[in-house]
Amino acid sequence: MRNILLVAAREYKQIASTRGFWVMLLVLPVVIGLSQVAGRFFRPTQESAYVIVDASGDYAPAIERRLEINYQRSELSALSGYVQRWKLGSVQPDALWAKGERWFTDDQMDQFIASGGIVAAVEVVKPHAPSEAPAYEIDKRNYVQAAMPAGVAADQGPDALKESLEPFLKDTIEAPDGPRPLSLAVYIPDDMGPASPVRMWTNSTPNATLVDNVRNEITRVMRAKALEASGLAPETATSIENISAPIMLSAPQQGAGREQVVIRSVLPLAMVYLLLVTVMTTGSMMLQGVIEEKSNKLLESILASIHPGELMHGKLIGLGAIGLTILGVWVGAAVGAALSVQGVVADIVKPSLAAIEPWMFAAMLFYFVAGYLIISMLYLAIGALSNSLQDAQSYLMPVVMIIMLPVVFMMVSVAQQPNGVFPVVLSWIPLYTPFAMLARMGAGVSMMEVIATGAMLAAFVVIEMILLGRLFQASLLRTGQPPKLGGFIAMMFGKNTA
Amino acid sequence: MAVLKLDHVVKRFGDFTAVNDLSFEVPEGGIFGFLGGNGAGKTTSLRMVLDIIRPTSGAIEVLGRKPGRENASQIGFLPEERGLYRRMTVLDTIVYFGRLKGMEAATAKKEATRLIERFGLSEWTKSMVEKLSKGMSQKVQVAAAMVNSPRLLILDEPFSGLDPVNQKVLEDLVLEMAAAGSTVVFSTHIMQHAERLTDRIVLLARGRKVFEGTQEEARATLPGRLRLESQADPAGMPGVLSAKRGETDTGWTSWEVSLAPGSSPGQLLQTCTAQGFALRAFESQRPSLHDVFIHLVGAGQETVQ
Repeated sequence: MRNILLVAAREYKQIASTRGFWVMLLVLPVVIGLSQVAGRFFRPTQESAYVIVDASGDYAPAIERRLEINYQRSELSALSGYVQRWKLGSVQPDALWAKGERWFTDDQMDQFIASGGIVAAVEVVKPHAPSEAPAYEIDKRNYVQAAMPAGVAADQGPDALKESLEPFLKDTIEAPDGPRPLSLAVYIPDDMGPASPVRMWTNSTPNATLVDNVRNEITRVMRAKALEASGLAPETATSIENISAPIMLSAPQQGAGREQVVIRSVLPLAMVYLLLVTVMTTGSMMLQGVIEEKSNKLLESILASIHPGELMHGKLIGLGAIGLTILGVWVGAAVGAALSVQGVVADIVKPSLAAIEPWMFAAMLFYFVAGYLIISMLYLAIGALSNSLQDAQSYLMPVVMIIMLPVVFMMVSVAQQPNGVFPVVLSWIPLYTPFAMLARMGAGVSMMEVIATGAMLAAFVVIEMILLGRLFQASLLRTGQPPKLGGFIAMMFGKNTA
Repeated sequence: MAVLKLDHVVKRFGDFTAVNDLSFEVPEGGIFGFLGGNGAGKTTSLRMVLDIIRPTSGAIEVLGRKPGRENASQIGFLPEERGLYRRMTVLDTIVYFGRLKGMEAATAKKEATRLIERFGLSEWTKSMVEKLSKGMSQKVQVAAAMVNSPRLLILDEPFSGLDPVNQKVLEDLVLEMAAAGSTVVFSTHIMQHAERLTDRIVLLARGRKVFEGTQEEARATLPGRLRLESQADPAGMPGVLSAKRGETDTGWTSWEVSLAPGSSPGQLLQTCTAQGFALRAFESQRPSLHDVFIHLVGAGQETVQ
């Protein structure tokens, strides 16, 4: 064991001293870092302020109410999903957020807002959330009405207003929660009509949702007024305006819906790609190492001191440690980013982590390591059989194709149908088991299937180690033409041709 | 006690017999030459001694045990074809081989540093092997073979590729190791080195042993030779096998004389004196190992004098 670890440590240091390793190791953390920076600097901000001059006095409160209802509705829907995910419905069974619903009427929203809105609801839920659940975070309002800045001519007609607001539309404005970009200014005349329309001015990034909301709300109030003018009682006119189809929108239980499948699959699918990329790259590095040892006759010095089996196992452990290092740094960077910062990565990884059950992590690690061993062993055997890199290429090409093609097709197939025939069949072919099982993990595989494929995979790894181990040992001191198929088989079954 | 014993060892690769019924013993202490031309079976024999390959038949005993890695801590080995990890420092390389032979890290480092100094490589201690010249790399490999102060040091063609200065450094080191109690076995086809260093030799040809013994015993297998200048033909003298005429100068002729087996130059000189056979010059010629090699193996085998 001592010699195995010595070889492993040397292999690890050797690969870790190459530039390729560091490029690979750091590429993901750097990309994550850049995405954070880019997100901060280049992502168009959604949060903005608007100002209204409502000469009639009829519309501004309605617009404000509409925007607040929309905001609270979106938060209530998200909270309802959170409560469903963490099974918190029993905290207050009558609450709007307790039933897993995702759509709420304006009346319901008015009640919700009157009872304190999302802030009060989160206060109720928070103490009961399990320790592993992330805290529910309340998003900021996308649009906030700002007071008219001092010095703006609000009462001298639209043209004067436009002129005095122009500098603010190019900059930020003081809103109740701090400075925000001014994305919309609205002027509603007292005598609205074809001759004196509602005027709107936007900044360079006009927000269509905000504009639609304002326009729809003005239209709604105008209709109510028209209905009133036609003789209807004001209450009747309002209630007609508020009619909407009663809808009860429910989201699927956790793990059952497509959204959840996608979220749960993020990490396992990332591991499939990670496995492919790391094993192919580090495998080539190790293959070059074996060819170097063979071609400059280093092997003889080494084999005088240690057994060929120790050399092989040391190499596999060293390479495995490299793979786990890359995995650790990549996953660590992604999880670290998810937990410590906001951004695209966090948005993808955080729910994925939350959706994976603990035993799945162990299974994922097992498949990763087993996949790594299976393919590394192939690279090692190819290295031992080859006298030069050209030799190695001729073996490597078909082997890489045999591994890659089905895995690539399987990934496409998994995206459409995670438990379709092709991915399931591949799960039971040991060479592809790690890839297929990892890829299917997000869609939900039974623990029985994991145990059964795991046992088969472990047996395959042992048999592969024995057979390819013999091939490796018998090939180490070979020179001259590589053997034919019969020669391979003879070597694998213990007929040493050295 | 013999540190190395081969008993009727045969190694075949398919139809080709690389080593054929080879038996010899290497006593503990001293320097043992394992001589033979290219393809004589030297490297194959040494690989079997190190358990890198197994014999087809016959028995090998190394340090009183079967060949195997259990002996590694007491053996140093320098293979014929040299190679090192290019992207490893000089110190790390030597320490690594020391550790593979069971040394503790601190001891291996101390001994490696000593050898690095001994070879004049101190300023390259932390350099990558790929930056060294060929000669320097070879020194590193020799150091890696010796780092564990082995009881048995096996050197396969150790001088090939070294310049004369480094050959001398290595020769001194081999003598030093032997003086310190190690048994050194080295294979070579350069007879000069064998002549200067070895106490006993084994000579191989086409996988078979053709001689085993001391250098003197090896030389005794050749007829004695000498050059003399006389006025008469020495061909008829007792003990003379043949005499080849050379140049004549004012009545004195130079002769290349071959002696009959069992006759020595001293006996001939004594006979000449007793019989009044006039001599102007008498030079006994000591056969070299190269001559012995050619005599025993045949001129077809490649050696370097």
